[in-house]
Amino acid sequence: MPRLCSSPSLLFIPLVVRFSPFQVSRWAFSPPPPTSGCSGFNGIDNVSNKLRMTTPNKTPPGADPKQLERTATVREIGSQAVWSLSSCKPGFGVDQLRDDNLETYWQSDGSQPHLVNIQFRRKTTVKTLCIYADYKSDESYTPSKISVRVGNNFHNLQEIRQLELVEPSGWIHVPLTDNHKKPTRTFMIQIAVLANHQNGRDTHMRQIKIYTPVEESSIGKFPRCTTIDFMMYRSIR
Amino acid sequence: MASTKPLCLPRRSFPRRTTVCRRLAEGEQILSGGVFNKQKSHDDIVTEFGDSACFTLSLLGHVYCKTDRLAKGSECYQKSLSLNPFLWSPFESLCEIGEKPDPDHTFKLTSIQNFSSCLPNTCTTLVSNHNLSHRQPETVLTETPQDTIELNRLNLESSNSKYSLNTDSSVSYIDSAVISPDNVPLGTGTSILSKQVQNKPKTGRSLLGGPTALSPLTPSFGILPLETPSPGDGSYLQNYTNTPSVIDVPSTGAPTKKSVARMGQTGTKSVFSQSGNSREVTPILVAQTQSSGPQTSTTPQVLSPTITSPPNALPRRSSRLFTSDSSTAKENSKKLKMKFPPKIPNRKTKSKTNKGGITQPNINDSLEITKLDSSIISEGKLSTITPQIQAFNLQKAAAEGLMSLLREMGKGYLALCSYNCKEAINILSHLPSHHYSTGWVLCQIGRAYFELSEYMQAERIFSEVRRIENYRVEGMEIYSTTLWHLQKDVALSVLSKDLTDMDKNSPEAWCAAGNCFSLQREHDIAIKFFQRAIQVDPNYAYAYTLLGHEFVLTEELDKALACFRNAIRVNPRHYNAWYGLGMIYYKQEKFSLAEMHFQKALDINPQSSVLLCHIGVVQHALKKSEKALDTLNKAIVIDPKNPLCKFHRASVLFANEKYKSALQELEELKQIVPKESLVYFLIGKVYKKLGQTHLALMNFSWAMDLDPKGANNQIKEAIDKRYLPDDEEPITQEEQIMGTDESQESSMTDADDTQLHAAESDEF
Repeated sequence: MPRLCSSPSLLFIPLVVRFSPFQVSRWAFSPPPPTSGCSGFNGIDNVSNKLRMTTPNKTPPGADPKQLERTATVREIGSQAVWSLSSCKPGFGVDQLRDDNLETYWQSDGSQPHLVNIQFRRKTTVKTLCIYADYKSDESYTPSKISVRVGNNFHNLQEIRQLELVEPSGWIHVPLTDNHKKPTRTFMIQIAVLANHQNGRDTHMRQIKIYTPVEESSIGKFPRCTTIDFMMYRSIR
Repeated sequence: MASTKPLCLPRRSFPRRTTVCRRLAEGEQILSGGVFNKQKSHDDIVTEFGDSACFTLSLLGHVYCKTDRLAKGSECYQKSLSLNPFLWSPFESLCEIGEKPDPDHTFKLTSIQNFSSCLPNTCTTLVSNHNLSHRQPETVLTETPQDTIELNRLNLESSNSKYSLNTDSSVSYIDSAVISPDNVPLGTGTSILSKQVQNKPKTGRSLLGGPTALSPLTPSFGILPLETPSPGDGSYLQNYTNTPSVIDVPSTGAPTKKSVARMGQTGTKSVFSQSGNSREVTPILVAQTQSSGPQTSTTPQVLSPTITSPPNALPRRSSRLFTSDSSTAKENSKKLKMKFPPKIPNRKTKSKTNKGGITQPNINDSLEITKLDSSIISEGKLSTITPQIQAFNLQKAAAEGLMSLLREMGKGYLALCSYNCKEAINILSHLPSHHYSTGWVLCQIGRAYFELSEYMQAERIFSEVRRIENYRVEGMEIYSTTLWHLQKDVALSVLSKDLTDMDKNSPEAWCAAGNCFSLQREHDIAIKFFQRAIQVDPNYAYAYTLLGHEFVLTEELDKALACFRNAIRVNPRHYNAWYGLGMIYYKQEKFSLAEMHFQKALDINPQSSVLLCHIGVVQHALKKSEKALDTLNKAIVIDPKNPLCKFHRASVLFANEKYKSALQELEELKQIVPKESLVYFLIGKVYKKLGQTHLALMNFSWAMDLDPKGANNQIKEAIDKRYLPDDEEPITQEEQIMGTDESQESSMTDADDTQLHAAESDEF
């Protein structure tokens, strides 16, 4: 995969462009662990409160996004998007950002702000953004100020969310809502790392996931059914 | 495919192989002179291929069906069936392409000519061969005790010869045993036999029905109303390898076949006639052995009861009946083996008195047929005509029984393929228990329940199949989908693991695996597995359908469309794929297209209440509410247990402002499914429309309580809007006024939906 170094002025031209395949590492046929309820959701509220406060309290980790998936309310759609970065060190690029592996990471290699651009083929509803950041392993590379912008293209981005992280140690759930408190519909999302801990220049980001709400029941404009009795008759498979 | 006649081997196996490799044109060329050349008519083919014309025609029919020439294909199948009514696969194929062959008409022995052509090895050849070949053992058999020993040895040998896999070594071994009547080789011969028996999985199946079903015209054919030795006859037991006396019957007949086998014909050919004959032989032998009882007392300890061996004779016999040295022998015998579970206990319970045959003159006649005993041989001056006719009648009787079984199964299968599921279940349940408790029959019944959307019943039946035949892979994809519907993830994981461990080359295993991951919402992995299923067998329609469903779940509707279309290309009667297409068009709001596709699916499967329900909803979306109500009523009549039909009827009534009837419907529904939050949600909406806000609020809060995941913010929004004027079209400004923190989810209310869809349709 050819990689070009960016020049600082051309911040908006994506240099590392790739469809990231959703890599699967699980092979076992074991049943899933029981979902741990709504802890992930509670985490969002706590996190968002704390993010606003910028107190010395550290950012608590949210729940594993896999549990979000198991609630069948959201679906990871990163595989349907084109991911690009403003800069990266060779061997630490988009693949490492999207490989479902928390050990590998993206390391930027330019000047701030460092950008992650997610472009969809069509206007997509996005509900939550999940970023994994770990101060203990990344120290000065850990992002501390992140801005999330959405829009139609590079020239049309608007910031909808800014978050401050204080020594994060896990998953950060970022709900993406518009003015009307509904999930945003957009062609493009840009995650900008504006500042790092200890004023580091470059940043590490270990994993990013983007979720869309799952469409409701197959027929009729009704919310999803809750009992198996209804769900059995919902569709023919 | 096994070869039939050596002459035909190169000619027939090549076309089959080319079909398998999908070089259909080549196959057709070989069989019928090609697509473009002058094609031979069916009669030419019949004359050219002679006895194996039925198989040729069946193959040709398959080629035609695959190349979209269904009329010609069905013609070929029909002709094939008329030539040989014992064939099952053309009948099956006819049912699957949507024709309705009449089982009564198809499965009958129309003429003796047909009969003999199906079973080329008539008794005549056998008996004459037998006479000739029995010289050798004859010389050995000098005394009755040794005769019986010889008999047993021959039992073993001929039984061995039936196991074509192990034949060579064992037969040659037994040859030497024949020469020297020792107990030692006999014993080892027995052990070889038992070893071989163990090698055969589930070979201990017999065709004998319960003691009650004795007439050869019932499916429990194979029981000839002739004398059968009593199990309790001690001396009898001593002299035969098997303690249940009845089981010995075919084995005693086996020696005749041994000689035949030696003549170079395949062992399977000879099984039938021999077993027919053996029935009469036994009593005579008993009589003889009784006289020689004390002398043979030494033999018992050597002869280990190999119970399974003679029953093997009978299944082989029936496989002979089915196949008549055809290449479909293996496939049919496989089916047969699956259909006829071991009946050893029944045989043991059949305690018929030993008729001994002492006083029955006709036994003496029939005795001549087998000529096992040298003394009898030496005495036998009877002509071979009577025994031949007798044997022939036996053949015919057994074949009649077989035909009646085929008729029943044919009716059941036809009903299933026409989706008359209730009737299919009825017919198949009336099969005798030993046919009923077989993998194939139970799978068909399970599938019938599945098509009726009675997933609990289907699951029960399929788990029975797994218990009986845990090596069975066909039909398991339906089981996996049943478990998917029932959301039994543990059972589904176990099933998929077992299947993929057992057979990685079967599409059913990978379909089950894909279903398992789909249930876990890991759609990407599920997609991978379904693609693997397609790789393993590109002609397996269901894999395409399941893949299409996964793409729908991951919102890749174009790929989903392609998959469903592929499924239809492979099997135009795969109504699931038509349904899938309808669903996609519904999602894209192309309602008339959706209705058309649902209707096509319904034409194939008219009794599906789920389909009717969908059609009703689509018709409502097309503003044809009256029709929608009619359709939903029909659906409810067909399947009163389907709660979604009632729910949608209630929602249509609600949309048409018939609040009272909607409420009534919903109250009934509440009784049926008390824990469904949707029901309370709709009741709440109805009350809100009626202005009874307290009741509305109460129901909304119930709905929220019943929805633990809290994902249905529609309900929350409905509560929030309770103070608004009765307006089912909430505008976003009003939501702003509400200013709730929690309604972050996408609103599925009508106005926003239309806005969303309008925006989307702009984008397309």
